Amino acid sequence: MTGTRPPYGRVWVWTVSALLLGFAFTGCSTGESPRNVDALTLEALNDPDGSLRAEEVHLRLAALDTLDGERPNLGSLSDAVWIRVSGWQGAPRQARIVLDNPTIDSIEAVVMDGPRVLMRTPSGAAFGRTEDLIPTFSLPLNEAHDLWFRIRSTKPLVLPFTLTQEQRVESLRDNRNLAVALYTGIVLAILIYNCFLAFSTGQQAYFSYVLVVLTVGLVQWGFNGYDRLIWGHVPWLARNGLTMTGAASGLAALTFAREFLEVRRYTPGWNRVINGLLMVYASAMVAAAAGFPIVAYNLVNLGALSAPAMLALSLISWRRGNSPALWFFVAWLIFLIAVTMQALRDFGVLAFTQFTALFLPVGTVLEMLLLSFALGDRINLLKRSSDAANAKALAVSLENERIVKQQNAELEERVARRTKDLATANSDLSRTLGELQGAQDQLIQTEKLASLGQMTAGIAHELNNPINYVQSNATSLRRDLEELIEIVDAHVDALAALVEGASGADDLAEAARQKARQLDLSFLKEESRQLIAGILEGADRTARIVGGLRVFGRMDGDKPVEASLSDLLEASITVLGDRARSRARIEVDLPEDVPALYCQSGKLSQVFMNIIVNAVQATEGRWSDAEERLVRVELDRALDGDGKAHSVIVRVRDNGIGMDEETQQRLFDPFFTTKEIGKGTGLGLSIVKGILDDHGADIRVESEMGEGTTFVLTFPLDIMSNPNSEAA
Amino acid sequence: MEEDIIRVLYLDDEEPNLFSFKAAFRRDFEVHTCDEPHKAVRMLEDHEFHVVLSDQRMPRISGVEFFELIMPDHPDISRVLVTGYADTDAVVDAINKGQVYRFVSKPWNEEELRSVIKAAYALNRARVNSARQGHQVLSALDDFAAEAGRLQGMAQATGDGLAHSLASDLRQLEEGIRAERTRYGKWMEAQKGQT
Repeated sequence: MTGTRPPYGRVWVWTVSALLLGFAFTGCSTGESPRNVDALTLEALNDPDGSLRAEEVHLRLAALDTLDGERPNLGSLSDAVWIRVSGWQGAPRQARIVLDNPTIDSIEAVVMDGPRVLMRTPSGAAFGRTEDLIPTFSLPLNEAHDLWFRIRSTKPLVLPFTLTQEQRVESLRDNRNLAVALYTGIVLAILIYNCFLAFSTGQQAYFSYVLVVLTVGLVQWGFNGYDRLIWGHVPWLARNGLTMTGAASGLAALTFAREFLEVRRYTPGWNRVINGLLMVYASAMVAAAAGFPIVAYNLVNLGALSAPAMLALSLISWRRGNSPALWFFVAWLIFLIAVTMQALRDFGVLAFTQFTALFLPVGTVLEMLLLSFALGDRINLLKRSSDAANAKALAVSLENERIVKQQNAELEERVARRTKDLATANSDLSRTLGELQGAQDQLIQTEKLASLGQMTAGIAHELNNPINYVQSNATSLRRDLEELIEIVDAHVDALAALVEGASGADDLAEAARQKARQLDLSFLKEESRQLIAGILEGADRTARIVGGLRVFGRMDGDKPVEASLSDLLEASITVLGDRARSRARIEVDLPEDVPALYCQSGKLSQVFMNIIVNAVQATEGRWSDAEERLVRVELDRALDGDGKAHSVIVRVRDNGIGMDEETQQRLFDPFFTTKEIGKGTGLGLSIVKGILDDHGADIRVESEMGEGTTFVLTFPLDIMSNPNSEAA
Repeated sequence: MEEDIIRVLYLDDEEPNLFSFKAAFRRDFEVHTCDEPHKAVRMLEDHEFHVVLSDQRMPRISGVEFFELIMPDHPDISRVLVTGYADTDAVVDAINKGQVYRFVSKPWNEEELRSVIKAAYALNRARVNSARQGHQVLSALDDFAAEAGRLQGMAQATGDGLAHSLASDLRQLEEGIRAERTRYGKWMEAQKGQT
């Protein structure tokens, strides 16, 4: 424990130890009390209100009580007591009567001859004189005279009257002075050192401790009457000083205990006990101030209960892990032993010697020292725990640093990895983009093929109908023809027979007529005519469809050809066939005077079919009756100032569902579709846009929800009419 | 029955086709033609037809839709779809749903179409017969149930123990017959119009 103390701590310990040894030595070497020459006889007369005059004392002799023992104890007195001392007669002249009780308020020796007062000698600590600390009185000259003492004491009145030699009194006084000086030295050393510690550590407990040392020191002074040297001239303090310092020391000790033992932390229940005891001491002070010195003194005595209480408290605190509490326990144990010894001595159980008188001061010094050690230990413990906390904090901060470093490293690694990932993602992205473009190209191709397929389907259906009736009519016509030939043959036979005049010619003629009737000749003639008409019409229609097809030119041909948009539109509608005509009414307005232009005719017909089919679908979304659905295809030209056409305009109008603003804006985006998933690729109009861009043509949409949509396609003539400029 | 005249109705929006059809088959069947679906519906109400043929692509209504329209009222008529170009999805769907007995593409093969019409007629006859027989079975079951009910009433009236147990047997029998009749009736309904 001392190992961690600063060097001057060791010096202090040695100093105090040396003083203590010196103190003990003083006590031991002069350890005998002034020996009684003879046993004195004491008789006491109570004077409760202190009004009894010396002249009246002899009238009360009957009330005198004889006191027994060497150290009669009268207890606390409210005011005064008269003591007649006898038994000194025959003692040597230089003998002195001594009352070794420094706590009495005042003492007055009165020599009387009967009722007559011969001499008064006041003395006592209250005078504030060193020689009065051990009141010493000469013997009366005439042994027949009475020696009375008038004593006032608010403290328990112990009366160790002794008859002793004057030199012994001197040496007793010197020893007392020396002992008190040494004690004071020790206390001062402890006080100063701990004061220094208190200020250097700033610990609350040290300040309390300093107060404890100071008050305990003052109490010890008080026990020896030395406090009167300081404030003896103030009557109230002279009477109550010891009580006040005692109470103060109790307050200081309890406060110190509370801080040192960390009562709130370890033994919170005891806080109330400490408060109670503090109240006792505080009450003592109040009582003293209010002029009840005896009550005050007894309250201080009651406060002595704190000693065992502190003992128990420190033990409990120690058991609960407050290790410095053990020092505290030992300190209070020693103090309690010392106090107990003192009490035993006061009650005559132990001999009243200089040695036993040492118990209390030595006990208090030891207590102070142990408490000081305890404090040191506690400070060390605090320091250790604070060191541990610092070390822990350091470890934590080191750990934090390590973590931060590690995190930084991880972060860097992550950044690197992320960068790499990004690079990979980037290359993946470009690859995906490439693939996407490939896929888009493929989709566009697919869309083209789909258009081709649709067109093929439309053409097939368109062709199959006329082919059907051409073929079927031909078959029927052959059958009719056979029947007609049959009839004709019958008639030819009959005619020949008639011409030859052969017999049975009439029968043959009848048979021929019969045949014609049976086979319904007139019906056959009519039917044959109609069958032939059907064949002709079918052939004509077939020719027209094929003629329309020719207008398309090569579907994938990139080479511009001169084409009439009127023909192209008509052919497109024809080729769409049922896909347009049977689903909506298609009106066309295709004036002849619109100039032809150079274009990729196959691609343009794809554009027209796409837009017309969209228009038909839009009408289907609005009308359930096909008669209500209307798609109008118009061809027009725009004229410049000179009346010359500068562009050709195609309008495809429908009375369908119309489009909202967002749809109009996204209309030409690839993959944008309003159709159900799987029903449209969303490429149709983006391809249309691409083809029109190639032609330098413009496409505009006018639409209103629930009203219909118009696509307006504008083909500038100046660019498209000159293929050479394109070819360049 | 085999000697009966086969009555055929052909619906197409293109006049020349109607004429061709009539010219081709007038010697084999009693041919009626029509170019308007609603007229065709009226004709079906006025005469009993065995087979009805329709073009698939017509303005306003498709052949399959037309068949759907007439099916509830004429479940027994055999339906044949004629079309210029294979509208495969619609046709397959129609056949699977049982709306169409056969599918014939234009230009038609006369012989093939003739045999298709004859087969369709046979199906129509079979369906009508089975419906008739089904109804006979149903009415027989009804009679049987009624007879069981009557006997049960008599047994009840007799009032002796044996008659009572007989009555309860008869009640069970009657319930059984009625359940069977309901089941058969439902089956008949389900069979209606199925090719």
